[in-house]
Amino acid sequence: MSGLAHYLEDEGLATVIVALVREHIVKMRPPRALWVPFELGRPFGTPGDGGLQRRVLQASLALLDKTLTAPHLEEFNEEAPIHDDSNWHFPGSLDNSGVLAEAASVMPIWRLARERIGRSTVGISGLPPQSAVEFIARFHDSEPMPNPQGMAPVSRARFAVDDIKAFYLEAAMAEGGQPSARQLHEWFWSGTLAGELLREFQQRARVSADKNLQLIAGSLVPAERTDWFLHGLKSPEQ
Amino acid sequence: MLKPLLLPAITPPRWVWVIDVVRLADIPEPERTVIADLACPVYADTSPVTPVAAALRHVAIVSTAGLIVRGERPMLANEAGYRAIAATVDDGDILCSHVSTNFDRTGFQQDLDVVLPRDRLRELEEEGSIGKAADTHYAFMGATSPVKLEDKARELGRSMLALGVNTVVLAPV
Repeated sequence: MSGLAHYLEDEGLATVIVALVREHIVKMRPPRALWVPFELGRPFGTPGDGGLQRRVLQASLALLDKTLTAPHLEEFNEEAPIHDDSNWHFPGSLDNSGVLAEAASVMPIWRLARERIGRSTVGISGLPPQSAVEFIARFHDSEPMPNPQGMAPVSRARFAVDDIKAFYLEAAMAEGGQPSARQLHEWFWSGTLAGELLREFQQRARVSADKNLQLIAGSLVPAERTDWFLHGLKSPEQ
Repeated sequence: MLKPLLLPAITPPRWVWVIDVVRLADIPEPERTVIADLACPVYADTSPVTPVAAALRHVAIVSTAGLIVRGERPMLANEAGYRAIAATVDDGDILCSHVSTNFDRTGFQQDLDVVLPRDRLRELEEEGSIGKAADTHYAFMGATSPVKLEDKARELGRSMLALGVNTVVLAPV
């Protein structure tokens, strides 16, 4: 991102960066940066907190009012507290008789979440959520699910994994509350058959003879949620 | 032509252990250092553009979340291109195709403005704190080598200038 700042300024645009990783700013020295002490993935703070988002945006634009002769890095001095919501629980019951049954049981809850939130981020694979689960579950079968036109099977698999995660995590927020990201991920990766499915898929992708599948293996499951990490196995690098 | 002083190979570590979407400072060593010490090109200091007065600012947001509009081809790892997101695109049609598993998406899933604060920018326009919120915002794929992005970044810069944009808020994830 700092590289973009250099290029855009060189073209004549004034830039400010809202940065989550201070160390990269220090190294790359863009003209103006505001470091924010938030979770990775949340440069403007907390979902639903328009006030905080606005203050971050205002603070970043305020850097343009300073007369600068050297790269300028400023800190945003407001935290976005991270805490678990002890009252949070998944707002429904999961059918744990199989991963497809589980996904079917998530569907009505996800629909409620979509209504409450007003949108959904599911859909990047081009498959409906339950089909995304089936696509991954059958990926290594002798009769895999047909792959629709427009995307290579391995790419479809990568984005189907993203859709499955979004489908479950959005459903988990159907009743609101303020579960932390950590809580939501703990539930997904440790409490659902879909999480187990994705870990198994990642393991098979990692050792697959298909180089393209190997390449996406690192984009499927957070490293600390992989079986080799959880069970003290050797990392793929060792 | 602006060039990095050094051009190290930008090879992201294959296994960066981040314990579920936390602040970098909370990540245990040695993983924290792996991220913090990620090889970055070193640039000569760029002379900052003299900003226009706040009331004249025409502001666009550029994200590196790999954002796309629903129905478009998702961005791929190390892709150098960018996508345009018109103001008329509904929040529900903006998707994230970023390759990394190491940042939180639940904030984005609940509220687009956590990543792409279009509504907040429009509020600043309405109250007169800026001149105009751009009609289009943009997204690159994060984790792509900055050096690889140069041509497309410059192309985008010229395109934004042609549209009257004079100020850019850059928002990595």
